[in-house]
Amino acid sequence: MEFIDEIRPILGKYVITKKEDLIPYMNDASYFTGEMPQAVLLPGSTQDVQNIMRIAYKYDVPVVVKGGGSSLTGSSILKTEGVVMSMLRMNHILDLNLNDKCVTAEPGVRLDDLERFLEKYDHFYPPDPASSRAATVGGSISTNAGGLRGVAYGVTKDWVLGLEVVLADGTLVKFGNKTLKRSLGYDMTALMIGSEGTLGVITKAYLKIWPKPERIARILAFFRTIDDAGRAIAEIKEHIIPEMAEFMDKISLDSVPDAIKYPQGTNYALLLDASGSKETVQRRKEDIETILKKYAIETRSTMDETEMNRIYQARKGLYASILKLREKEGEYIVIGDIVVPVSELPSALKEIEIARDQDGIRAALFGHIGDGNIHANIFADLSDSQSMERVNKFMMDMAMISVRHGGSVSAEHGIGIEKKKLLVEEMRFNDNMRTLELMKSVKKIFDPKNILNRGNIFD
Amino acid sequence: MTKLQDLIAEAGKCVNCGFCESVCPTLPAAGFLSTKGARGRVDIAKFFYKDDSIDPSASFYSCVDCYACLTVCPAGVNAGKVSEIGRMILAKQGKAPEIAKMIVELTMRYKNPLGVREKCAQWARGIEFDAPETLLYTGNMYQLMAYLRKFGKLRKFFGQYEVQLASFIRKHPSSVSIFRDLYDKAMMDKMNGYLINIVKLLKQNGIKFGYLGSEEPYPGTFIYDLGFEDEFRDYARYVSELFRSKGVKRIITVDPHTYELLKYIYPRYTEFNFEVVYYMDLIGTHKISGKYAVHTPCHFSRYFDFSEYVGRMFDVNVEENPTRCCGGPDELLFPEISENISEKRFNELSKTGLPIVTACPICYANLAKDDSVTDISSILLADGERVSSASVH
Ligand SMILES: Cc1cc2nc3c(=O)[nH]c(=O)nc-3n(C[C@H](O)[C@H](O)[C@H](O)COP(=O)(O)OP(=O)(O)OC[C@H]3O[C@@H](n4cnc5c(N)ncnc54)[C@H](O)[C@@H]3O)c2cc1C
Ligand code: SF4
Ligand code: SF4
Repeated sequence: MEFIDEIRPILGKYVITKKEDLIPYMNDASYFTGEMPQAVLLPGSTQDVQNIMRIAYKYDVPVVVKGGGSSLTGSSILKTEGVVMSMLRMNHILDLNLNDKCVTAEPGVRLDDLERFLEKYDHFYPPDPASSRAATVGGSISTNAGGLRGVAYGVTKDWVLGLEVVLADGTLVKFGNKTLKRSLGYDMTALMIGSEGTLGVITKAYLKIWPKPERIARILAFFRTIDDAGRAIAEIKEHIIPEMAEFMDKISLDSVPDAIKYPQGTNYALLLDASGSKETVQRRKEDIETILKKYAIETRSTMDETEMNRIYQARKGLYASILKLREKEGEYIVIGDIVVPVSELPSALKEIEIARDQDGIRAALFGHIGDGNIHANIFADLSDSQSMERVNKFMMDMAMISVRHGGSVSAEHGIGIEKKKLLVEEMRFNDNMRTLELMKSVKKIFDPKNILNRGNIFD
Repeated sequence: MTKLQDLIAEAGKCVNCGFCESVCPTLPAAGFLSTKGARGRVDIAKFFYKDDSIDPSASFYSCVDCYACLTVCPAGVNAGKVSEIGRMILAKQGKAPEIAKMIVELTMRYKNPLGVREKCAQWARGIEFDAPETLLYTGNMYQLMAYLRKFGKLRKFFGQYEVQLASFIRKHPSSVSIFRDLYDKAMMDKMNGYLINIVKLLKQNGIKFGYLGSEEPYPGTFIYDLGFEDEFRDYARYVSELFRSKGVKRIITVDPHTYELLKYIYPRYTEFNFEVVYYMDLIGTHKISGKYAVHTPCHFSRYFDFSEYVGRMFDVNVEENPTRCCGGPDELLFPEISENISEKRFNELSKTGLPIVTACPICYANLAKDDSVTDISSILLADGERVSSASVH
């Protein structure tokens, strides 16, 4: 392959072509398997990335960029022939400026490593997907990842100040910078966020950081119905924005019996954090509890670090705990991810519960009640086509419930290949096909030869 | 269950989330090549059981068996175990690397991987032993480190011809005699000194024990770790029989690998009715003054909380992640990966500015990049203050 011959003298041993070494790059965390790459490239610098793209462009070679490979939608696997570019060697934190509240990082830095680094300075980078152990800066920007702290801090898009990007033809461009605001025509930084490796390769990110809250109090409340939980959170948010606001259904709670014990009659639980200074946190906690008590069967709170961590890890590790409830070897967990306006969450959730039962699906429901994000962890037997048909039907049902309630078919995991059809359905439902056309036009301008993540988001 | 079924059962639970990659020491050490990281190993295993025409040996053999992956996997998969089973399948198929075959054959023949049992017994010259039913068993582990360091240099010298070198030695096993004097003198002196420390510590505590001298066999760690299960079974039988014939009842081990092998693995392969203890169990609890950076051996952290154990004796720099490897297990087959891991680990420990303490000869040999590194026996011996007698388990 001429492409490989030309790239090898530049990247040396970081051009991988042995079949055995290519196999792991056929997968991400979704249930899809991609094409076997013709090569895997491991750039160590922006210059390497530029060289790779310049040569790939010359020879029309499709390139899929891969970070932590924790995508749940098949967005970091090859859909056509081509090569995979892994960003894991570019894993340095380049600069920290506490005055500017900005950290500069390479794309391959894992979010947990960034967190550990910032902790030393009593700061944090708020986007915290449950996959933060594996997910990278580049990957999380490219999927606009959200997380448990979304209710107070928003999602990745709210924390990216600027990006350095290598375009499909190898040109280096800079979108934004370290400043906290700017009004400079189109917001090109925003355009890159959630673009799933289809518009350019992120080689550097300027990220906004925040001081860690001085104190946290963690509150658990148990409800008979999701309506009660919904009313409670709505009333709380009239007065206080909690640091975290998560809900879990009974199946989810049953998967963490040691960490969270619930009273009889519980169907849903809320997990809330109040934050503030030493002086204010206690008062906020009490205010939240007063409201919760109006609707909940029982509320509990703690400010003990160990206990708080146990509860947090139980929520963050729900995926792991639910995995343990698999009934068959080889059974997979397909993760549904939709979003509705916060006020619509209880009614949407009730419809999803009905659809789950009608479709004959076993699924745990949980998510970020603070920002209207509902997840369904669906047990799926990939080897059974009937089971997969039911799973796909349920995914479509969830998607349509979300759009009927004014929401979206993907909240934070992206489109990848999994939700291509659902994206079209949402646009069609909203009579908004023109937006899809605009997206395709943007893609053409950025990547006229369609070499970046070909077949992702749309064909 | 066949080994292939074992492999399917372990790897089949994986959902490919990538968490394990973030803690696997071999991934960054191998330039982030996925096959030499935890998730890649599981992916290769999943592919291998459908298509055994691929050669997964580099992936399985480069795993250092630290089990860090298991501590973070949401699905409870142990990529270390996957690699171990993979190696057993490859060894059975005759597809193990040439150097691995050489080491196993030499060990089977000489009961020592380099045929240097006499040399390995020299540290004990002049020491009086008694009570053969309690055996001090070094397994030649401390002593061999001095040879492996030189062996690594020899391999570097042979470069791409190392396979030919291994094949030659396999064909002419007596040529192994070249190793007899091929050891790192300074390292040998240190290692012998640590064994003498251990003897003193035991004697100070009134323990009576014997030692097999040049009859002492290597425990077979390489044979097991390299996947040669059938050979290991025969070897374990030999060692067990030898101990029985010497009237041994209780075995005092001095390093984590031998301790693990004798206590947990031998009984799976042969009748092994001996009490196996670790020497630190017998010397009481010391409270050491001063602060140290203690490197926990992976093979201890599998069975008990070594940090807690050490915490009772030392004022230590507590580690965030107790399963950080020293890189040692890759020294034989992947010296570059081994060097990268040990360099990183040494720097982490060194950054504390504290004296570094190891409790395993392999960790010591890999981390002793300057004089700040010491074997735990030296510190224990230097401090006489005995607080109480407590057992670890
Ligand atoms: C157990 C589990 C829990 C999860 N929980 C959450 C959650 O709570 N919230 C959430 O939002 N997501 C979650 N996810 C989904 C996923 O982890 C996130 O989308 C994550 O941000 C992806 O990051 P990554 O580095 O693994 O990206 P990858 O999977 O490697 O890539 C994702 C996309 O980004 C592109 N990309 C990667 N790096 C670059 C780059 N440098 N430049 C351009 N494009 C690039 C890829 O081409 C691909 O399209 C979860 C996944 C798992 C497995
Ligand atoms: S952590 Fe476990 S489930 Fe995730 S990729 Fe590794 S082995 Fe698979
Ligand atoms: S045992 Fe250690 S080296 Fe082996 S795969 Fe697991 S983390 Fe990596």
